[in-house]
Amino acid sequence: MLSSEELDRYDRQIMIPQIGEKGQEKLKKAKVFIAGAGGLGSPVSIYLTAAGVGHIRLVDHDTVDLTNLNRQVAHWTSDVGRKKVESAQEKLNKLNPNVTVETMSVTIAEENASELMTGFDLIVDAMDNLPTRYLLNKTAIELGVPFVHGAVNGFQGRVMTVVPGKTACLRCLYRGPVPASKFPVIGVTPAVVACIQATEVIKYLAGIGELLENRLLAYDGLSLKFTEFKVQRNPECEHCAHL
Amino acid sequence: MAVKVNLHLTLRQFTNGQEMVEVDGKTVGECLKNVVKKYPAMESSLFAKNGKLSNIVEIYLNLQSAYPNELARPVKDGDEIHVTMMLSGG
Repeated sequence: MLSSEELDRYDRQIMIPQIGEKGQEKLKKAKVFIAGAGGLGSPVSIYLTAAGVGHIRLVDHDTVDLTNLNRQVAHWTSDVGRKKVESAQEKLNKLNPNVTVETMSVTIAEENASELMTGFDLIVDAMDNLPTRYLLNKTAIELGVPFVHGAVNGFQGRVMTVVPGKTACLRCLYRGPVPASKFPVIGVTPAVVACIQATEVIKYLAGIGELLENRLLAYDGLSLKFTEFKVQRNPECEHCAHL
Repeated sequence: MAVKVNLHLTLRQFTNGQEMVEVDGKTVGECLKNVVKKYPAMESSLFAKNGKLSNIVEIYLNLQSAYPNELARPVKDGDEIHVTMMLSGG
């Protein structure tokens, strides 16, 4: 049941026929796990909070650094040195106090991934490294929970939604380890990619539209082109072949 | 007619910014080898030392993932190959 304050707050999106009050109530009841409170996690968490997703768990082990501020818009100059999740939680609570924003300043690892991610309707990959992305992918598949992948580099980005047992997963395209490296990025790129991820989350929770299932959407900000690549499940995938 | 190879942004440094290169070839592997013949400096960005594709490279043939065994995929005139790179930043 939406309160009168919520009916006012979400008035413009309730007006969207595909959402309506029923869709808004679905968002309110939903629980979303966001891995990372950085370049992608900032806008994803801001837009899902603004949209009225009822419960968000935001996990990031890092503290705010000056070099983060060109893109990690949940963190401001006065937040340098603070835990990212605390900095983000403060803004998100001010943005929409109806949303429960639960934060954990921990490293997502093999030992805790399943425990951290259990009990959520959807998992958002807003990480900054491939090993943790694959761990999220594997855990999401084990838990049978959809997983929205997003990644950026420079002016480029990509998004793909994984529905365990139904679609290709991140590991289906795996060829081998890739060395970690510091990546270049300008804030508008994760903003675009994160907003597409948040769109996928809202659509899934409300049960509307078409998800990026078996579709890898690649974004090139310099030429301002989106290219959609078809991907398929790998019958030998070490994460999802058993489903 | 030939096969069109669309190059990822990071590879365009080897082609003076050119996004698409047309080459001949009967497989994806032959086409990529012919791209490297035109632009030899690109080789180490596409291939590992063992001659296999670099782990970071992804190949799409006519907008469809060519994984696995990408290099062996047959191609015909008019086909389009996209060479992209896996992204990890966030």
